[in-house]
Amino acid sequence: MVKDFLEGKPLRHPIHPMLVHFPIGLFFLSLLLDIASFVFPSVPNLVLGSFYAISLGVIAALLAAVPGFADYTDIRRDHPAKRTASAHMILNLIVVGLYAINLAVRFSADVDLRVHPLAFSFSLVGVALLSISGYLGGRLVYDDGIGVGRHKRHMPAPRDTIHLTVPIPGADGVFVPIMAAQQLRERETLRVEIGGQIMAVAKVDNQLFAFQEFCTHRFGPLSEGKFEGFNVQCPWHNSCFDVRTGKVTNGPAKVDLKIFKVEMREGKVGILLPRETKSA
Amino acid sequence: MNRFLNFLKGKWLGHPLHPILVHVPMAMWPGALIFDLLSKWQIGGNAMVRLSFYAIVFGLVASLLAVPAGVVDWSGIKKEKPAWKIGLYHMILNLLVGLLFAINLGLRMQTFREATTVAGAPLLLSILGTALLIGSAYLGGMMTYTYGISVARMSKDKWRKIAEAGGANLPPE
Repeated sequence: MVKDFLEGKPLRHPIHPMLVHFPIGLFFLSLLLDIASFVFPSVPNLVLGSFYAISLGVIAALLAAVPGFADYTDIRRDHPAKRTASAHMILNLIVVGLYAINLAVRFSADVDLRVHPLAFSFSLVGVALLSISGYLGGRLVYDDGIGVGRHKRHMPAPRDTIHLTVPIPGADGVFVPIMAAQQLRERETLRVEIGGQIMAVAKVDNQLFAFQEFCTHRFGPLSEGKFEGFNVQCPWHNSCFDVRTGKVTNGPAKVDLKIFKVEMREGKVGILLPRETKSA
Repeated sequence: MNRFLNFLKGKWLGHPLHPILVHVPMAMWPGALIFDLLSKWQIGGNAMVRLSFYAIVFGLVASLLAVPAGVVDWSGIKKEKPAWKIGLYHMILNLLVGLLFAINLGLRMQTFREATTVAGAPLLLSILGTALLIGSAYLGGMMTYTYGISVARMSKDKWRKIAEAGGANLPPE
């Protein structure tokens, strides 16, 4: 509930990327004012203004950190973006720490017409690190789709990929039991990898369906999609597919999904892979 | 011309340019309102009045760069998509907000060097401009987070390889 709020679900927009405008803009402004105080030594109040800008920036950065942590924990543990997100978080913590020290230096120095050289060097390093960190944050959204379409989902996304090995094939194919599928709730999903094949397993209308994890448009994660009727909607560009047939029901995707047979054998739910895909 | 368009799209950065640049006006103009309110409450004096003035200037300069980058991103959206219309409203609102802050700045020109508190008319313009900006920025965020504009545009080859390794059906290249 708190997590849904921090992830911006009621707003239908993630909160962390809204708040980060403020520290980014204000820390840049303070650096410009510092530079201006060197260039225009006769102009009063530039250094003081810079101090106020940093103060507001630090407050906003601390506020932004809270939903940022919530977003971070929501990224699947084996997602390629997890490392980017870790770097983004560590850099941001360093930047806030630097600006806190920066403020303390400015506070103890008598505010005059010239910025304290130590404080100025902290600002230079702070803005440099913040630029890198902000860039990484943007890559998380625009490369890896973190937070994109998340508010449309009704159920939490899978925390991990379940890796299963392919047993010896039987006469009609390979049956791979998926223990976790038994506990799935309605519209909940698993992300499963069987011998290299990555699929989403979803419970829709009390039945299990398995289909390829990647959307056929820009390869968005369907295990994080939204379910409506028998349709799964990709979180990125809203392509829809029928989970029963894999057919595209709404673009931009044009190619149907690969689907997999879900069966019950000896009391176990699992995937029946056709014989030709048995490679381990 | 093509190189210039690619520059505006942020291809050289591997990141769309418009959402980077908008951090500046998005922070500066609501920031200016906060500084105005602080000066109104007798906090900061002339330093606060000047800070608000400089924030509005910085926001205007950055928004001049953000406009062409935004228009280029928008022109890449098909007209029949819902995001096209949202982008249109986003653009109209932003132009209005930019205009309001330009007028706002004009009203401050004569007084910001000496004044210790913000005057009524510029304060009202800051309130109005910030309110409209928040609405407009929300629409911009909707384009990214609901409609996926610019999402996986530059990373599609990377994701294609991952999907291919995962045995997925793929679209033709």
